[in-house]
Amino acid sequence: MNFDHDTVVGFTKSWGLFYLIAMAVGVLIYVFWPSNLERFHAAKKNILDEDDKPWK
Amino acid sequence: MAEFHRKIERNAMGFVLAIVVVASIGGFVEIAPLFTIDDTVENVQDMRLYTPLEQAGRDIYTREGCYACHSQMIRTLRDEVERYGPYSLAVESKYDHPMLWGSKRTGPDLARIGGKYSDAWQVAHLINPRDVVPESVMPKYGWLQRNALRIDDLGEHLAALRDVGVPYTDDMIANATQDALGQAAPDGDFAAGVVKRYGQATQVRAFDGDPGTITEMDALVAYLQIMGHLTDAAYKQAAAAEPAK
Amino acid sequence: MRVGVLCSTKWGTLDMVAQLTTGERQLAIVVLSLVALLGLAMAAAGRADPIGVHGFIVLAICCGLIFVVLGAYYAPEPSPERLEHYYDDPSKVGIVLTMAWAVVGMFLGVWVASLLAWPDLTFDAAWASFGRLRPAHTSAVIFGFGGNALIATSFHVLQRTSRARLPDQFSPWFVLIGYNLFCVVAATGYFMGVTQSKEYAEPEWYADIWLVVVWVTYFAIYIRTLARRKEPHIYVANWYYMAFILVVAILHIVNNLAVPVSFGHAKSYSVFSGVQDAMVQWWYGHNAVAFFLTAGFLGMMYYYLPKRAGRPIYSYRLSIISFWGITFMYMWAGSHHLLYTALPQWVQTLGMTFSLILLVPSWASAGNALATLNGAWHKVRDDATLRFMMAAAVFYGLTTFEGSFLAIRPVNSLSHYTDWTVGHVHAGALGWVALITFGSIYCIVPWLWKRERMYSARLVEVHFWLAIIGTVIYVFAMWNSGIIQGLMWRTYNENGTLTYSFVESMVAMHPYYIARAFGGLLFLMGAIVGSYNIWMTIRGEAEVAPESADLPEPRLASAPGE
Ligand code: HEC
Ligand code: HEM
Repeated sequence: MNFDHDTVVGFTKSWGLFYLIAMAVGVLIYVFWPSNLERFHAAKKNILDEDDKPWK
Repeated sequence: MAEFHRKIERNAMGFVLAIVVVASIGGFVEIAPLFTIDDTVENVQDMRLYTPLEQAGRDIYTREGCYACHSQMIRTLRDEVERYGPYSLAVESKYDHPMLWGSKRTGPDLARIGGKYSDAWQVAHLINPRDVVPESVMPKYGWLQRNALRIDDLGEHLAALRDVGVPYTDDMIANATQDALGQAAPDGDFAAGVVKRYGQATQVRAFDGDPGTITEMDALVAYLQIMGHLTDAAYKQAAAAEPAK
Repeated sequence: MRVGVLCSTKWGTLDMVAQLTTGERQLAIVVLSLVALLGLAMAAAGRADPIGVHGFIVLAICCGLIFVVLGAYYAPEPSPERLEHYYDDPSKVGIVLTMAWAVVGMFLGVWVASLLAWPDLTFDAAWASFGRLRPAHTSAVIFGFGGNALIATSFHVLQRTSRARLPDQFSPWFVLIGYNLFCVVAATGYFMGVTQSKEYAEPEWYADIWLVVVWVTYFAIYIRTLARRKEPHIYVANWYYMAFILVVAILHIVNNLAVPVSFGHAKSYSVFSGVQDAMVQWWYGHNAVAFFLTAGFLGMMYYYLPKRAGRPIYSYRLSIISFWGITFMYMWAGSHHLLYTALPQWVQTLGMTFSLILLVPSWASAGNALATLNGAWHKVRDDATLRFMMAAAVFYGLTTFEGSFLAIRPVNSLSHYTDWTVGHVHAGALGWVALITFGSIYCIVPWLWKRERMYSARLVEVHFWLAIIGTVIYVFAMWNSGIIQGLMWRTYNENGTLTYSFVESMVAMHPYYIARAFGGLLFLMGAIVGSYNIWMTIRGEAEVAPESADLPEPRLASAPGE
């Protein structure tokens, strides 16, 4: 491949954008995946628990 | 998707990798092309190297933190060009390891300070800025005039710079100490050598006014006086762009 | 387990050494001896150079520490019951160091600020000149104060959220002490003129290499503890701490690549030059702000704020979305430091665009924090500690908004190189970083030392107001001076020439520089009041607190204003 200025910049601009979109979609799917909801809920509450000890 | 994420999460190493990849891409994409492309740094013929004395002065400039108050980067804005001179080109800091563009102008930009004042003004200003500019808030640098410059290791400095890409020759490295002495003592034995190695335009003067001893002041003033004059490219470009008066 | 015979103070260093197993004590002595030898080698190689002085400093510190370890070397083995508890000794020392660096660093800040108003307010000596004190200030506050706060709290949060003890008792000390050794070498270096000039990456090559060793150990502690966590899910605060550790490592290694003049020279030359160096430096500089001063402290916020408020974070999902947004987008934004320079245009545009989008995840975080407090405003009113954290979230929102605004090219053409940038930096540094840190410290101190509450709730209140007023004065002064300066530089008169000389613009700054120094002084006084309060809390009588005393909410009512 010819590695000149325009190729590199073109690559950056196009793939950079795809990457941004893919990233965003991935994160959103993860966050809104129904079965994850419960774990998020637990995580959110867990830190307020009182048992202040290592678990094992 | 969810299964994939659960795996990533349970294994903290996967998570680590995800962070590294996601975070690296931005920097990589912006920085890598700067090394592969030609037109980042203009190609000019007359670009010259810092002499050992000037490089020592540059190191003092770094040491004293002059960059904390002075920029060396004239932006492409009309008022900056009128105040300081032609805007800075990338090539002008090609041999600057590291660059000293700065980020704060408590004092004026220095990119084109070379030749603006006499050596005597620079020395007086550095010893006590308020003697010359009564309102100035710049610090005094009296010790530069008192400290002898360390010159025995200048060859090692040039050699390290060559390792990072500055084209110093063996001859320059071997004679670094003499060249520093020569540049600050126009009537001395070594003055001819430095001109031979670094070109006719090299400024050979007793920068601190005393040819007898070589001080840190000599080095710093030599550096200030060359600033903006390693190449004429910026001035030529500005002249070409100027509409005929 | 207390070995009370050995030491009369309640948390003496000897007690802490006695907590180490014999194996760990031996390891400590071996490692300290090796580092001491390294110091000796530096001292020998750099006789005529500042690196030699650094060698002696390293040697002296290591020898001192060897004596400390030897002092309790023959103390009985710690009881196995220790494994039932979290290991908090390094966090305790880390908190004390945080406050010490805060006072030192902010004192330097006030001094530097005063020098810009009264340039001769210093000693006629190289070490005390502005150009050397300024990096000492920035490093002392960012790395000394901020870094110690991050290390101390991260150990605390990591253990609580994983419900796992730190993997061993030696490596956390190595990280904490090794990191402070780095800070000491950095700070003393500036006074001697040792600097690479790269902002926030000033320390020279040997300090940089040392920091890599420390950082790898730090990372290993995180991974080893997480591997033993109870829940499969990792709490979001740890995500931020991890991003902080990882990305800072990448940035640090790349930006500091350099060739030393010789092993006997402190001086090195960066492998990068000119534009490439500028881009690498600001990619580093901007993301040091993003991952050191933002991500790490967001980790702090996501743990201590809900804990103190006694309410779960408003939206866990939002915290994840903003995490990936910040991690991804910050790395593109560095080039906004180089607008209108010799950097290629397309990189500038990319930097500006991403800086604008960054506002979304940033405000999501700030909003999430404030929404968490919704319904607990009475607590915010009564509890200055919680108010510290609330104010931090507000300043975080303001500063990120301002940051995006400053990245717009025409705005930047005015603001760059002026005090406006400094005002922006300190809105973040004082308003966000320092306030969230003080808030978290006021939570953690009573928990760690098993005290019912801080020594004086009133003093927390005093600190809060000193900090807020100081920040506001500082930031307003710099907005004014920055904008005036920027306008004066570009004002033309009717002949089409520049109206003001540079010196005229400099003179116009004088009143604002005085105001800034005053604002900073108030902020410093707040930090001193806070240190006193913390010290008195530590010295106070321990009530033998039950385990659950580690939690704040039930006592809020009985300690109003704490
Ligand atoms: C506290 C900030 C500060 C530091 C540090 C500082 N300067 Fe300055 N400098 C100023 C100010 C303000 C001015 C404008 C007033 C004057 O000319 O003194 C100035 C002016 C100058 C000028 C004259 C520029 C012109 O175009 O008139 C030179 C040359 C200069 N400084 C060099 C240096 C060098 C070399 C160092 C490091 C040894 C240094 N400065 C460190 C603030 C600083
Ligand atoms: C007592 C409080 C403080 C005072 C009086 C103070 C003062 C100053 C001054 C005078 C400067 C130099 C500005 C210039 O060159 O014009 C500065 C720079 C800086 N300070 Fe502070 N500071 C304080 C607290 C902090 C804190 C807590 C932090 C970070 C956590 C911080 C981070 C910085 C940074 C990053 C810079 C460099 C700014 C830049 O390059 O644009 N400061 N400070």
